[in-house]
Amino acid sequence: MMRAAVTDAQQQSDLLEAYRNATSSGYDELLDATSKVRPHWQPLLANIQALTPEERAKRAQHLDRRVQDTGIAYDIFADPSKPSRGWRLDLMPFAISAGEWRFLQTSLIQRAQLFDAILADLYGKQSLMKQGLIPPELVFADPSFLRPCLGIVPEAGHLQFYAADLARDAAGQWRVIDNHTETLAGIGFALANRVVHTHVAGDIFKQANALRLASYFQNLQSALTLHCGRENARIALLTPGAHHPDYFSHAYLARYLGYLLVEGPDLRTKGNKICLKTLEGLKEIDLIVRCVDGHSSDPLELDPSGFQGPAGLVRVCRKSPKLVVNAVGTAITQNRALGIYLPQLAKHILGEDLAIYDAPRWWLGDPASQNRVFNNIDDVVIRSAQEGTGRPGQAAAGSPPRKNSNADWQALRRDIALHGAGLVAEEKVGFSVAPTYSAVGLVPRPFAVRIYVAKTANGYEVMPGGLAMTVDPDRAVALSAPDGHARDVWIVSDTEVPPHVSLWRPTVEGARVERSQRVIQSRVADDLFWLGRYCERADWTMRVLRSALRRVEEDGGPANGRRAARTCLEVLLSDPTSTVGARGTRPTSIEIESLCTKLISSGKGYRTLQRTLAGLYRVASLARDRLSHEGWQTLSKFRPDAAWSAALSASSPLMLLDQLDEGLASLAAFNGLMHENMTRNFGWSFQDMGRRLERAYNISEAIHALFIPGTDSEIEANELLLLLELADSFITYRSRYRLDPMLVLVLDLLLLDETNPRSLAFQLAAISSHMETLPDPTQKANLSEPRRLILDLLTSIRLADLEAMGRDGNRKSLDELLQKQLQLLPHFSNAIASHYFNMTDEAPHRVHLRSDFKS
Amino acid sequence: MILEISHKTFYRYGTSVIQSQHLVHKTPRSMPHQDVRYHNLIVEPAPATRYSGVDAFGNTIVILDIEAVHKEFVLHARSEIATRAIAPIDLAASTPWDALKASRTGSGSAMDLDVIQFRCASRLTVPTLEIADFASTFFKPGRPVLEATMDMVTLMYRDFKFDPTATDISTPITRVLKHRRGVCQDFSHLAIAAARAMKVPARYVSGYVLTKPPPGQAKLQGADASHAWISVWAPEHGWVDFDPTNGLLVSDEHATVAYGRDYDDVSPISGVLIGGGEHTVSVAVDVRQAEAAP
Repeated sequence: MMRAAVTDAQQQSDLLEAYRNATSSGYDELLDATSKVRPHWQPLLANIQALTPEERAKRAQHLDRRVQDTGIAYDIFADPSKPSRGWRLDLMPFAISAGEWRFLQTSLIQRAQLFDAILADLYGKQSLMKQGLIPPELVFADPSFLRPCLGIVPEAGHLQFYAADLARDAAGQWRVIDNHTETLAGIGFALANRVVHTHVAGDIFKQANALRLASYFQNLQSALTLHCGRENARIALLTPGAHHPDYFSHAYLARYLGYLLVEGPDLRTKGNKICLKTLEGLKEIDLIVRCVDGHSSDPLELDPSGFQGPAGLVRVCRKSPKLVVNAVGTAITQNRALGIYLPQLAKHILGEDLAIYDAPRWWLGDPASQNRVFNNIDDVVIRSAQEGTGRPGQAAAGSPPRKNSNADWQALRRDIALHGAGLVAEEKVGFSVAPTYSAVGLVPRPFAVRIYVAKTANGYEVMPGGLAMTVDPDRAVALSAPDGHARDVWIVSDTEVPPHVSLWRPTVEGARVERSQRVIQSRVADDLFWLGRYCERADWTMRVLRSALRRVEEDGGPANGRRAARTCLEVLLSDPTSTVGARGTRPTSIEIESLCTKLISSGKGYRTLQRTLAGLYRVASLARDRLSHEGWQTLSKFRPDAAWSAALSASSPLMLLDQLDEGLASLAAFNGLMHENMTRNFGWSFQDMGRRLERAYNISEAIHALFIPGTDSEIEANELLLLLELADSFITYRSRYRLDPMLVLVLDLLLLDETNPRSLAFQLAAISSHMETLPDPTQKANLSEPRRLILDLLTSIRLADLEAMGRDGNRKSLDELLQKQLQLLPHFSNAIASHYFNMTDEAPHRVHLRSDFKS
Repeated sequence: MILEISHKTFYRYGTSVIQSQHLVHKTPRSMPHQDVRYHNLIVEPAPATRYSGVDAFGNTIVILDIEAVHKEFVLHARSEIATRAIAPIDLAASTPWDALKASRTGSGSAMDLDVIQFRCASRLTVPTLEIADFASTFFKPGRPVLEATMDMVTLMYRDFKFDPTATDISTPITRVLKHRRGVCQDFSHLAIAAARAMKVPARYVSGYVLTKPPPGQAKLQGADASHAWISVWAPEHGWVDFDPTNGLLVSDEHATVAYGRDYDDVSPISGVLIGGGEHTVSVAVDVRQAEAAP
C-alpha cells in the first residue's frame, strides 16, 4: 500500500512537473492556492497518470486519428493552399465540479429566461426601450433587429436554444464573454468531441464519474416533437450548406437527432406551408431547426441577397409562428452592448439579481461612455457590438486602440462618434488556465468554454458538458481559437451517474422519432448521381493509366499494346464530341508517359484524373450525411491536399503504378461499402444509375475509338487485350472461350452479354430497372423523357446483330450502334437532371425594379 | 388637390416562371396632408395567395405568391389621392439640430421610439467620414434643423446632376457624393445619410409627383415615374418633407405611397422568382390632376 502511494505521488509529480514549472497568470483551474490538485480533477488525473507515458502518447495519437476520420473540421472546402484550420481535440478534458456546475446551471437558465423575455418584448410591446431599460439606438442600429419579424417572435414559443461563452477572471469569478441566441452555436462540435473522446478514453470518463450528454439530447428531441404538436413530425435542420464552416456540426447533429438536413434551395413555400422538394414532389415540413442566419433566411422580406432560407418564410411564419426555432430575429440579443443593461433587466423582468455578469463593457453609442473610453483608451479593446458569430472559436479579435499618431487618434474619435452605436469597448477579463496534454506532460493553457442551454419539457435545461477552447489571451476577448484546439468538458458528479443511454441506438421511446429514410431531397439525389458518375469515371481513368504505364514500364508487359493505350489516353483527353485522329505509328514510351501526365493533371480536358478526383471528393462531401463513416474514410486519400493526391503529379512512372493500384483498391473498398451498407432507397438508385451511365459511356467510347475503323489483325489483337483488361473481363473471356481474343466474341461479352456486370447491356438494363421503381414527380400518363431514352438505348443493344457486324468489313453498323449510345447517353443524363433534380428550381433569384425611377 | 394615379408594371420573362413571390408597396397610405380616396391593385396572373398587411412603419404591404406557370406578370395600381397644401413653415424658427432631444416616452416635443429609429443608419444610408463632412457644412452648431436641411437640398438641386445612367441600384452613396450625379433615390439616400450622421431623424419617402408638360405641349401618357424624397423631423412640426431632386419643400403636388429607413423598406415591387431567365420590365406611370374636385 505504502509503496503504491509513493509511486502514485511520484508519477503525479512527473505528469505535473511541466505544469508546475510553467509561469502562467490568471486563475488556475487545476491547482489551488497551496498548489494542491483541486478535488474534482483528482479522479481524472489519477486515471491519466495510471497510464504509462507511451500509452498516453498512443491515445493522443488515436484521438487525432479519430478526429480526422470523423471529419471534425471547420470548413471542409477550405483552400488547401491556405494554412488549414484543423480541429484538434485534447486528451485532457476540462473538468467542472458538481458544486460549480449547479451555480452555472442556475445562472445560465436565468439568462435564457431573461433573453426569452427581452426578445418577446423587443418584437412585441417594446416597453423595455420605452422605459429606458434598453437604449433604443442599440437595437435600431443593429441590422440583426429584423422589423418584418415584429409580432412573430412573441408568438413563436420560447427561445429554444441559447449558448454562453464563459471565462473566469483572475479572482475566479465566471464572466460571460458572448451570448448566442441566434443558432445552435456549434453544438454538433461539442457532441462529436464527446463521442470521439469517449471512444479513446471512455474508461477514464466512467471512472471520473462524469455526466453523460445523451439524456439532454433525448429531452431536446422530445421537446421539439412536442413543439410541433404532432407525432412523426417532419423536422428539418436548415443549414447554409456544405460550404459553411460549421457544416460538420449541422450534419453531425442532424444525423444524431435523426432529422433531415436541408438547405435553402431544398425548400419552397406552397400556400401557407413550407415544403421540401423531394423526388416524390413537395412534402410539408413541420419544424425548421434554424442553423442559418436570421437575416438571410428569407430573400423576399429580409436581406434581399440572402438565399439561405426559402423566399416567403416570414410570411408563412406570420401564420405559423412556431414553425422555426430559434425564431427568425433572435440574433438581436447577441448584441454585446446588451450585457451592460442585463443587471437592471434581470431585476425588472425576473425580480432577481443577475447571477453572472458579462465582461465589463461600454456601449459607444452613449456619449458619456464615449468620453469615458476616450480618457482611458489604453485599457480597452474596441470591437463590434453586432458581430455575433455562433461559430465556435471564430469570433474576430477586437482591436486595441493605440494612440500612434494624433491623426489616427482623431480619426478614431470621429469614427466612434459616427458608428459608436455598433461598437463596444471592453476590458479584457483575463482567462483562467487549465491543463493541456503535451509530450512533456501537462502544461497550462488559457481557455474559454461554451455551454449550451435548450428549452425542454423541464423548462430550460443545460447540457452537462460543453466546448472548451484554447484562446490567445493577448488578443482575445471572446472565444477565438487561434489553433483550433478544443477540449471536451466533463461535469464531475458528486452522486451516482445514471446509466448510459445513446441516441445512436434508440430506446423504444427514442424510436418514435421518424427517421425519414425514404425522403430524399432532389438536391441529394443529384449529389448521389454524380457521386456514382465520378466514382466510375475515376475507376476507369485509373485503369486506363495503369494499363498504359504497364505497357511502358513493366518488362514482359504487353509492349505491343502501346498504340491501343495511346488511343484510350487520347480519347479521355479530348473533347468527347471530336474524333480521335489516325492511329499512326507505334508510340514511344516518352509519348505514352507524357500523355499519362496530361491525363493525370496537366491536360486541358474536364476528364483529367485530378479533376475527376476533386469532383468525387466534393460531391462525397456534399452527400456526406448519406455516407457511412467508413465509406467517407476510404475516400480521404482523394482529398485534394492529401499526401496521396499530391504525390500523383510528382511520382515517377513506377511509383505511379503502385499509387494507381492503391487508388483503385480504395475505390473498390468504397464501392463495396456503398454496396453493402447503403439502404436501397431512391438515393441508392441515383447513385447506381450515375455509375452505370458513366460505365456505359466509357465502354462505348473505348470500343468506338479502338475498332472504328478496322485495322490489321495484329494491332486489333492488342486492342482486344487492352479492352478486356480495362473492362476487367479478361478472366471471364478466357474461362469462356480459351481462345485468343476475337472481335465478335469480345464484343458479345462487353456489349451484349447482360450477365457480365461490365457489359454495356448490363448497365442499360440496370438503369432501366431503376427507372421502373422511381416515382414520377410529373405523374403524367405517357412515358417520361428519361424512360423513353433508356428504353431506346436498351432496345437497340438487345436487337443488335453481332454476327452481321462481324461480317461487315467497314463496320458501319457497329459504328452506328455506338454513335447512338454516345449521343443519347448524355441526353439521358440531362433528362434525368431536368426531370428529377428540378434544375430550374435550383436558384431562386431576385428581380429589382430600378426602372421605376426615372426621376 | 385631387391626384389620379395609374402605376402599371409589366414584366416579360425569357423562360417560364414556376413560382414568383412579390412584396408590393404600391398602396398609398393616409397622411396628415393626404387622404386616399380610392385604390385598386390588379394582379395578373391571379396569385395563389394574396396577403395584405401593414409593415413595421405602418405602410400597407401586399405579398403575392403566384404558383401558376407564367411568362408575363402585370401589376396595375390605380389610386385617387386628395392632397392638401401645407401651411407655410418658418424653417428658421425650428429647433437647432444639435438641441434635438430624445425621450423614451415621446411626451411633448421629444423624440419617441418611432422617431429615434430614423436616426440610425440603415443598409443603404451608412455614413462615412466624407458624408459627415458634407453634412457639417449645412448642420453648423446652433442652426435650426429645418433651415439646415433646406440648405442641403437646395445645394443638391443646384450642384448635383440628374443622370439616370450614372448610377444603378447598387451604387453606393459615397459615389453619388463624389460624382454628384444620380436619380431621386440616390439624392434621397445621400441626404438621409447626411442628416443621420448628425443624429437628425430622417426618413425615405416613396410616392409620385405631379409633373407639368412644357408650355403648349400635351402631357404624354405614361411618361411620369415613381418618385422619392426625404422627411426630416422637427419638434415643432413633426415630419417635414423635402425634395432634394427638385430642391423644394414638398406641398400638395406630391403624393406619398410609403415611408421607411431607405429604399429597401419601401421598394414598389421586389420579387423572388424560380425560373424566368432574362426579363424585361416596362413601367408606365400617369399622375394627373382631376378636372373637378367632387
